[in-house]
Amino acid sequence: MPRLSTQEEGALVERAQAGDRLAFEELVRRHADRLYAVVLRFLGEGSEAEDVTQEAFLRAWRGIGGFKGRSQFYTWLYRIGLNEAKRRSARRPPSGKLTSLDEHPHADAPDWSEAPEPRAAEGELREVLQRAVRSLDPDYREPLILRDVEGLTTREAAEVMGLGEAAFKSRLHRARLAVRAAIDEYLEEER
Amino acid sequence: MIGRWLQKRRFMREHRWTSARMDAYFDGELSSRERHRLEAHAGICPECKRMLATLRKTLEELRGLSRDPSPPAGLADSVIERLRGQG
Repeated sequence: MPRLSTQEEGALVERAQAGDRLAFEELVRRHADRLYAVVLRFLGEGSEAEDVTQEAFLRAWRGIGGFKGRSQFYTWLYRIGLNEAKRRSARRPPSGKLTSLDEHPHADAPDWSEAPEPRAAEGELREVLQRAVRSLDPDYREPLILRDVEGLTTREAAEVMGLGEAAFKSRLHRARLAVRAAIDEYLEEER
Repeated sequence: MIGRWLQKRRFMREHRWTSARMDAYFDGELSSRERHRLEAHAGICPECKRMLATLRKTLEELRGLSRDPSPPAGLADSVIERLRGQG
């Protein structure tokens, strides 16, 4: 489905705000898959991502009158979706904590950067990565998913989280270091 | 003796400068001159070289996560059905 221009999307939002449900349904068609991907990354595989996505759109429809248009529609939508995901996540037992950077010293570790491709299957590395992302505290997992997985700009991702860019970058930095440490540890074992 | 001390001090200054700009490097926020400065230090500092390489690998892998898995078929239709069900 081709992307809408900002003006086209703005027109759909305005119509939806005036009560035009068909216009809102078009917004659903445009954004459902991507919102689902963001929520799924946040909650993990086998989660309630589909239900959260549906709930987010229902909330967005009920609250569209309050959308001021100062941000992109999708950043507003992601915020609703991630807030719902966090609510559900908080009801679950904790799966881990933010990996401490101090647990992964690397100053004296050997340099493998020139080494050939890791011998282990890429699938195994992917699993390590997913585990590392899942084990991040939600406040750190969120910026990583928005910026590094979904490819939002720093400004957009900070907007979704309701943070200033400096605070956002600080969280993203810690999250990247924690996940990097897990990858580094795995690759070191594979050497 | 003084020469070596100055060299070490300069190395540590570059190390701190580089460490603080790894994110900016990958986010495309450095000028061409700053990029070269960072790469020049990483070329002679094993710690920064490794950090740069693993961070690059990490970011590549993270970007790859966005490709899978596919959303459930008919997701938008089921959302729309629920919306209509609410009247």
